[in-house]
Amino acid sequence: MFMHMFKPIWKRKSRNLMLSLELLLAFLIVFAVTAFAVRYYQLYHLPVGFAHANVWSVELEIPEDAAKELIGKELDNAKRAAVAQRFQDFSRALSAMPEVEGVAFADYLPYTRSRWSSEFYLPESKQAQLSNVMGVSDAFFPTLDMRILKGRWFDPRDDGTGYTAAVINSEFARQMFPNLDPLGQLISPNKPGENMAADNVEEAKDKMLRVVGVFEDFRNQGEYMSPVPFTFTRFDGDAKWLPNTILLKLKAGTPRIFEVKLNQQLKLIRSNWGYRVAPLSALRENMLSTDLIPLIVLAVIATFLLLMVAFGLFGVLWQNTTLRIPEIGLRRAVGASARWIYAQIIIEQLILTSLAITIGAVLLVQLPITGALGAQLNWTVFTLALMISMALLLLLSTMCALYPAWRASRMTPTAALRYA
Amino acid sequence: MNILRNYLITTYNVYTRRKLYTAINLACITLTLVVLMVITALLQNVFYPTGVEGKSDRFLQVWSLVLTGENTDQNSPLGFKTIDRYLRPMRSIESIAAMTFPAPVSVYHGQQVSELQMRYTDAPYWQILDFVVLDGRVLNAEDVAQGKFVAVLNQSSAIKFFANEKAVGQSLNVSGQQFQIIGVVEDVMHVNSFADIWMPLTTQPSSDYQNQIRGIFGALLLAKSAADIPAIQAEILTVAPHIVAEDPKRWQHAYLFADTKLDLFARALLEHRYIADSGAGTLLLIIAVMMLLFMLLPALNLINLNIGRIMERGIEIGVRKAFGASSNQLVLQLVIENVLLSLLGGALALLLAKAVLVWIGASGLIPYLQVNINFSVFAWGLALTIIFGLLSGVVPAWKMSRLAPVLALKGAI
Repeated sequence: MFMHMFKPIWKRKSRNLMLSLELLLAFLIVFAVTAFAVRYYQLYHLPVGFAHANVWSVELEIPEDAAKELIGKELDNAKRAAVAQRFQDFSRALSAMPEVEGVAFADYLPYTRSRWSSEFYLPESKQAQLSNVMGVSDAFFPTLDMRILKGRWFDPRDDGTGYTAAVINSEFARQMFPNLDPLGQLISPNKPGENMAADNVEEAKDKMLRVVGVFEDFRNQGEYMSPVPFTFTRFDGDAKWLPNTILLKLKAGTPRIFEVKLNQQLKLIRSNWGYRVAPLSALRENMLSTDLIPLIVLAVIATFLLLMVAFGLFGVLWQNTTLRIPEIGLRRAVGASARWIYAQIIIEQLILTSLAITIGAVLLVQLPITGALGAQLNWTVFTLALMISMALLLLLSTMCALYPAWRASRMTPTAALRYA
Repeated sequence: MNILRNYLITTYNVYTRRKLYTAINLACITLTLVVLMVITALLQNVFYPTGVEGKSDRFLQVWSLVLTGENTDQNSPLGFKTIDRYLRPMRSIESIAAMTFPAPVSVYHGQQVSELQMRYTDAPYWQILDFVVLDGRVLNAEDVAQGKFVAVLNQSSAIKFFANEKAVGQSLNVSGQQFQIIGVVEDVMHVNSFADIWMPLTTQPSSDYQNQIRGIFGALLLAKSAADIPAIQAEILTVAPHIVAEDPKRWQHAYLFADTKLDLFARALLEHRYIADSGAGTLLLIIAVMMLLFMLLPALNLINLNIGRIMERGIEIGVRKAFGASSNQLVLQLVIENVLLSLLGGALALLLAKAVLVWIGASGLIPYLQVNINFSVFAWGLALTIIFGLLSGVVPAWKMSRLAPVLALKGAI
């Protein structure tokens, strides 16, 4: 029965080759868009690891002369004291406002394109592991309502230990300490043996990180960011630089106009510094919509292409059945029912489409096998996208075949034979 | 002439005989061309704009300074000192403007808090770019020299804050400072002119900017005529080595390039940071290849449609061949049919593309976008149309010319 169906397809192989090629191309395009969409759907439903509700951000624009006083490579005590002083100024003045429930500091903002990453080493290993890093103050975690999996967040207990306290996400813990309990482990931002000249052992030790906790995840760029290794290092008011972002937890229901009052308060602390205030929810909205733009553009173009393929397919099938009227008439004359003709034309089209899809799938399966696109095209995304695009394409070609098939089946054998 | 008329009559007959087929064919061509024309129009608006940045063929932009040291390099916008001290004395330029890149600022007005995109500029900026002033005036040399707290708003923001009231003369609180509005200009979405609010660069909270080599500025270099562009690009290469970084031990080399708009994008996308060649040629090639790839599917689609039609016309072809028509004549017939259909599709696509662009502009998908299909976009569209007609006509025509008259007449293809 299958061979019976296959024969007319093979008889017109050069024509069908062109048609399959078109279907193959259409399939690849549909797959690309669906894979993109499925991956975004998957990412959107992963935990971001923090809550943005009622959190506002203040970015500090520190003028050069003030920055010189605060930022520098040398760890002299005057600078440390100056940084600690600023840190306290802001902390105190902002906490005093009745609308503010918590004040935290960070190197950069969530829901922006910022990304700081650094290579880390185990004390005895030269194997580097890349991780995103962010320096934050102790209050950062309650402000963003984050939850710890193992160990604890850093707090004043980490003062004076000689190490910088750090918490890492479970992905980084898995990569860095596959067989070890990460809690209490030391990691180094320098390659062991380098920058460890005898006279600055102290400094090198100062830079070592001690893991005190493991959290699930922190996807700083928002819902559509792929999970990556992430490390928070502790900013304890005694660091080398002033983090230039403040996060404020506000009382629920604080209106946007509070920004005016906040700005006045900030200007009272340092009048010549610049401040940029934004609720995290606004940053998030902005980030989500810009992240979706490429997908929307691709989807619009793909829809245009598919629409055109549908038109084309319909035209070709319509012509094909017209050309095959003598054949159909003969089939009817020797006893094929109208229903059978109808089924034959649709099934032929489905076989052709399946053929194109199979070739496409064989080509595409190389992507997750070789891991060319990494986690972006994992097996779940691949399988789901493959299913959806297969279904879409089969649906499309069935829809295009319905009318031509019906037209051909409606013809009486006598009319069909005379047509020739 | 008569022969051509015959071709056209046949074409007309072919079109009307199979109306559904012609309609499908036309729809496919139109859809493809709409997409291509919208993309071309958007690209053209970026690379070769008209309107506010209509003088783009006469000015170049310097957007970034690359400093390199041992093992490290740094790419940042220019400091004001770089512009003032090193670029201003250039001999091949007519004038130079300094501007910052759009940055979000909070603007307070009554109970309203809004985020606007703000630029600091100097006075020549307003001469190099041809803003359409709706009310009041733009920033002048006096405003900038005296550091007056005045601002120019764009139309959308003026309406947002003041609805139907007159905006000029009112004041706004921008990040805690009061600015008086002196003018309202039309919204614009071009790379150097996009912003909601413009202020004199002398109103920055601190005057540090005057001593910065790296900073937050970009420069526009206006040439006396378009012919001077290469001279400016050559001169800036001799300026760059003289730049002394704030930390000369750490940063030993400086690189500066004056770029056309195409160069700007090419340099950023292809990361040509240290070489004078921006890679514009490569970028154009990439765009062309992508467009061809995009056209592959529509072309295949049309070829499939056309092949089908030839089979249907086997008898006509057989008869014409039997009466002595040469293969060339038949090929010409089919190519003419295709090109004419494509031209018709092109005309339709032109209307539809215009509608799509109006829709994109109205939907606010890209803020302030105002793209018109001007003459050159139309010319591009026409060229694309003809290429398309030929592309989709060649394969079927070639196939047709091979048909033996006897077989064609028998319908055994």
